[in-house]
Formats: sequence, C-alpha cells, structure tokens
Amino acid sequence: MTITMRVASLPLLCLAFVGQAAFGQLKPEMVRNATLAEPRPSWFLVKADEGSYIFDGDTGQMQGLISHNFYTTGVVTLLSRQEAYHVESWYTKHVRGERNDVVTITDMTDLSPKAEIDIPDKAGALNFRHHIGMLGDERHLVVFNMTPAQSVSIVDVIDRQFDGEISTPGCAIIMPTGDRSFLMICGDGRLQLITLDENGREASRSRTEPFFVVEEDPVYDRPVLTDKGWLLVSHGGQAYDVSVSGSRVTVSRPWSLLGDEDREEEWRPGGAQPFAVHRNSTLLYVLMHQGKVDTHHEPGTEIWVFDTERKKRVGKLSLEVAASHLLSSQEEEPKLYVFDQDGKLGIYDGHQLKLIRSIDDPGPGPGLLQLLARDD
Amino acid sequence: MNLTRLIDSSLAWLDRLTGNGSRRLARATSRRSFLTRLGTMLTGAAILPLLPVARALSAESVQEMGDPQSCDYWRYCALGGTLCSCCGGTMNSCPPGSEPSPIAWVGTCRNPVDDRDYLISYNDCCGKSVCERCGCHNTERERPVYYPSKTSSVLWCFGTESRAYHCTVGVVLGEAGGAG
Repeated sequence: MTITMRVASLPLLCLAFVGQAAFGQLKPEMVRNATLAEPRPSWFLVKADEGSYIFDGDTGQMQGLISHNFYTTGVVTLLSRQEAYHVESWYTKHVRGERNDVVTITDMTDLSPKAEIDIPDKAGALNFRHHIGMLGDERHLVVFNMTPAQSVSIVDVIDRQFDGEISTPGCAIIMPTGDRSFLMICGDGRLQLITLDENGREASRSRTEPFFVVEEDPVYDRPVLTDKGWLLVSHGGQAYDVSVSGSRVTVSRPWSLLGDEDREEEWRPGGAQPFAVHRNSTLLYVLMHQGKVDTHHEPGTEIWVFDTERKKRVGKLSLEVAASHLLSSQEEEPKLYVFDQDGKLGIYDGHQLKLIRSIDDPGPGPGLLQLLARDD
Repeated sequence: MNLTRLIDSSLAWLDRLTGNGSRRLARATSRRSFLTRLGTMLTGAAILPLLPVARALSAESVQEMGDPQSCDYWRYCALGGTLCSCCGGTMNSCPPGSEPSPIAWVGTCRNPVDDRDYLISYNDCCGKSVCERCGCHNTERERPVYYPSKTSSVLWCFGTESRAYHCTVGVVLGEAGGAG
C-alpha cells in the first residue's frame, strides 16, 4: 500500500468506528419470512402475467403472491385442502427449446409450490378463468387444451397424476356442474355435458339443442356461477340461466338486461371480465357501455345491478373511470372489486354501491380478478 | 410500401406458408389435370386470376390507406395483439427472427379506399419474447373462444417451433364474398 493510499483510507477507518458506535446500541435485525395469515372471504387475487397478487379487500393490503407464468389461465383455490392449482407451459430456454406443460400445486399456507403434475403439452393459454375447472369431487381438475384441436386433460390432484385426455371438438370453457361432470360452450350454439367415471375417464356425453347463433348474438366465453348453476350472457345482453340435474341440462328462456330505452341509447355489456354474481342475494353486476355491435370488450362506464330472481335492474353506478374487470366477493355483504383503465382497483360496497377504498397500485394489471375459491 | 413491394413480400410470405409439401400436393390435384387438358391457352397469366389469393393480391386490388402502425389501420379491424409493423416487421411480414404461425384467425374488414370488404388472416409471429409495442384490441365480427376461427383470444402460435407469442400481422386473403 502506498502512503497516498494509507492517507486516503484513514477517513474510511474513522467512519467504520463511528458506524460501529452508532449501531452498537441496536440489535441488528434479521431477515425473516412473514407468515401468511389465515385466508378470509375478503381476500381476492389480481392475476397478472407472471403471478397472482393476493389482496385483502377489508384492508387493501397485499398478503402475498402465487407465482406462475405467462401461459397460466385461471387459478383454482381449494382452501379446504390449503392448495391452489394452475397450469404452466415452460420452455427450456424461455421462448424456445423443449416445451413442458404442468399443473402446479401451491401450498396455501405459505404460497410455495409443493407439487407438479405433468400433463400433455397442449394447454390453452390467455386469461380465461374457465380454461381450468375443479369438479365437485375436488379430485378431478379439468384443463382446456388447444392445439388448435380442442380437448381437455383430466388431472387427479389427490393422486397427483394425469388421468387422460378427452376430445371436445368445437367446444371450450369448463363449467363444473357436479361431482364428476362439467359443461362446455360449443360453437354451434349448444352446451355439451361430459360426465366422468371415478377414474377420470369419459362416462357419458350429451348436448343441448342450440339456443343461440354464434354469428348473430354469441354468449360470452365468461360464464359466472350462480346459486342454481351458471349464467351466460350474450354480447347483445340476453341472459340465460343454466342448470344441470343428473344428465339433464336446462337452459332458460333468455331475459334481457336492456329495456327499449337502453337499446335506443345503445347500451351493451362489455369488458374483459364484465359479469359478477353475488349468490346469496342473487344479484348480478354488469359492466355496461354505450357502443355499436362488436364492442363486447369495451370497458364499462357504468355498473348495472340486476335482481336475477325478478330479472329486473335494481341499481346503477356511474364510474369516474371506465373499468374492464369486475368481481364480487361472496361475503354476507358483498364487496365489488373494480379494475379501471387508470390501473387502479376500486373496492365498493356491493349493496350501497359506494366506494370503500381504492388500491392505487394493484400490480401490473389484471388478466383476471378472482376469489380464493373453486369456481370464482 | 409501394404496391409492387407489397405484392412481392406478400407472395414470398405465402410461399413460405404453404411450403413445398403443399405445392407438391397442388401439382397432383385434379385441377392441374383439368388445366392440362385445356391446353396451353389457359396457362400462365390467364390462370392466376382464377385463384382467389392471387386475385386479391393482383395489381387490381388492395389500394392502401392509413398508418399500419396504428390500431385504426383498416386491416386491423379484428386484431387483438401487438402490431408487428411496430416491431421490425410490416403489416404482413413477421419481424426478423420470428416465425409466422401457419394457422390463424380470420376477420372481415372494409377497405376505406374502395369500400369493399376483405378477408384478413391474422397470423401470430412466434418464437421470440412478446414485443410490447402498439397493443391493439379490435373486435369487429370477433367471436368467443369456443368459435376459434374468429377469435383473437387465443395464442395462435400453433404449428411453430415455439408457442411464444411475439406480435401479429394482418394478411389480405381476398375479397369477402359474403357475410364475414
């Protein structure tokens, strides 16, 4: 060391002593892991491309994150088993190399991955909540495939194994209906019911009569679970109640979200996630906008509230900023989670339609809003 | 891009799309036998106008207007994705190093120049990271995911080396004969 360097290092030595004296009074902190609190009904997911951000709607505070990747569709959570399930497609070299599709199982006590189940490298992608569905037996997970041939993979999440693939040409979207059955929406305007045996193999298949014409007024590929089954709404605002009893599928006569005046003013449903139902109070919330035909993904400037029993509008909320995603909690008093075009997430009282709080930075933006639940 | 270059690049792209196998198949079809029987008077340039794709890309069609780097550009009426024209490609060519998907969804868009409807193939370009520029979400005649031939809500990187999505192009297939 030269003299110059020794002189230069003196101030640093002094600083080191001063630093030790200053920190000598304090016990150094250790990095620890926060423990995840018990999930509550007010918790919800803001699913982005690379992870699902868990927030508590009661506080607006983030609780943690479930990691997944760009190809993940929806996330199914089973709090009874403290697990969550999602699909990932992986390439060995990020965007190239060998592809490997898996169902990843997340431990909901600490949000760490606890298992993977290898599935055919065919999984569909993008943000569709119902590209994945857990059946009522809570054993069989159904994963939508597109290659572009359409099929589903049946996965046993208890024995951690792939059970088999079922071809479903012309149909997509998985709507669980019973212990081992699910509905799909088909391009010919019908619903398809598939029942599995206890080994996850196809036991039966049936189709309804056509009830919509896809070129005229298709139903959205975003069904919502109701207290009686599923609700499908068409781009033009026709609502269909769907229920299943055994092998019988019943599709109601449609009822319209729009009155004559609404039609004249060109009100339509729209958005990336335009519908939400609070099952206890049988309320349907819909993002609405004014626009022409084929504006079915246009964000909503208003939220309309319908009593699905009386098939009547019972409330309306004007939004300061148009919104693309809507979700209702299933608490006794519902909360509405509304993601707007400014990237903020508003939390509203679902009965009073009043803003409770806003999360200004809910992450990189939702592909989906979800509850920590099997079907929402 | 002038019309000649547009036609050249479109035909080159379509050549790659159809591939050698398709050409061999085309040569073996009865259409060729039929044409052979008709003799030389129906060969060459006289044949091309009979083919719908060739007709669409011939000098008599597709007069252009608008900015291909804008979501409002007429071909993009049902395009959901990011524009390859903003990412080193053009409205109908994939950026360097990416691979065009041979499978696509189809829209019907009206060309403001001639006020005619054209069938547009929206092909994803694949095998690279997402080009996060010029994102568009147009939905004219777009249909839900259970009707895949007309939905943009699918990653259309099928039949490619990698399913990774890069961006989307809009290729004129021909004039729309009827309802889209």
